[in-house]
Amino acid sequence: MINHHPKNDILTAFVSGQLPASVSVVVASHVELCEHCQQQVELITAQQAASAFNSASDNELIGEAPISNSEIDELDMIDMITALEPDTASVETAPVEVAVNSKLLTLPSALRQVVLKEWQGLGKLSRARFDLDDDEMRMSLLHIDKGGSVPTHTHKGFEVTLLLEGSFDDEMGHYSVGDFIWLDGEHTHQPVTQEGCVCLTVSSDAIHFTQGVSQILNPIGRFIY
Amino acid sequence: MLRIDDYVEQLKARAMQKSVAAIDKKEVCTINANTMENQVPPELSQWLVDVANVRCKRAFTELFRFFSPKIKRFGIKQLGNEAQANELIQDTMTNVWKKAHLYNADKGAATTWVYTIMRNASFDMLRRIKSKGEVQLADDIWPTFADEQPEEVMFGDHLMEKQMFNYVDSLPEAQKAVVKGVYYQELSQEQLAKQLGVPVGTIKSRLRLALAKLKKQLGESND
Ligand SMILES: [Zn+2]
Repeated sequence: MINHHPKNDILTAFVSGQLPASVSVVVASHVELCEHCQQQVELITAQQAASAFNSASDNELIGEAPISNSEIDELDMIDMITALEPDTASVETAPVEVAVNSKLLTLPSALRQVVLKEWQGLGKLSRARFDLDDDEMRMSLLHIDKGGSVPTHTHKGFEVTLLLEGSFDDEMGHYSVGDFIWLDGEHTHQPVTQEGCVCLTVSSDAIHFTQGVSQILNPIGRFIY
Repeated sequence: MLRIDDYVEQLKARAMQKSVAAIDKKEVCTINANTMENQVPPELSQWLVDVANVRCKRAFTELFRFFSPKIKRFGIKQLGNEAQANELIQDTMTNVWKKAHLYNADKGAATTWVYTIMRNASFDMLRRIKSKGEVQLADDIWPTFADEQPEEVMFGDHLMEKQMFNYVDSLPEAQKAVVKGVYYQELSQEQLAKQLGVPVGTIKSRLRLALAKLKKQLGESND
């Protein structure tokens, strides 16, 4: 049962293509698993399409740049396009699977073409980065083994997490497969997992450990980020 | 410290700045834009179908005339300059031409489908500008074909699903059409009978035969 969804303004930014690529991938991966958000996205898409293409929005935009392509260019472009063959190759939809801790995990469709780099382990934590160029953001798979935890930490930037397998708990609640969690510098948390878990994460900055001895672990913050 | 709301606000502000900057360079248009050509024509959907089925250039030209000024406006807002907005028209309309067969009138309005194509093209363009040589991600993030998942409702397991597809594909044509209609397209037996031009009784018996065959194959390979 999915209990944590992206907020509506995140879904709106997602539909209009304004979120960074890596964050878009995580939102898309949640939407793929979540019927509720699929309906939301459908609705928002129809609304945005209406405002982009219906006459009402033209009224609001009086005063905007005059828009006209010269007739010649237009006909050239039409000729060029209609000379092309239709794209009938069937769309590749076979799921991509990766081995995590010697178990197979089916990746979300949005990651179909994104290359996963090698796993690096540290105690009960292991992490593999995705090879996706997206400014200062890093996207990874994070695996926490049975009974593992990440010491209490805050996020300097923000961290988006989608739980792909297993479950974990933190001060704010219990999370299960499909849950979407957005944390930022205001949140401090200590995720603990009984059964183990695999998460898709995007972080915009290193995480920072806040308590006692675990501050020695701050280099791990780099590792997880 | 970046709160989620602030972050979205920043994104919106950035997008606004871009469009304002683009407009500033222009003369202001004083003509009332609300003319007839700005109404959404009811034929949009039919034009897409004609492009898909008979590669109709006239229908495409109509689509082009309707959408290109609006794509341009969207492009200026998202991409920030006119040259790229023109490129967006070309990318979007090229995909409309090449992928029209993926449009499914039952799943949504023509405008919604074209919006998806346009937003995806714009997203990939922005990525090309920002990071060279990247894969095209947009169609994986926002699939442009509508009926992608109905099969998963039936079979959770992917391997099982794949195997099932193979079995279904090996059925005789007449039975295959019935199984696909009922389970993949979720048509009623009556709808299907009408579509295939046979009595409902025939649909029922083909379905019975097909299912018996599938059960047998599954049973045989499960031990
Ligand atoms: Zn959701």
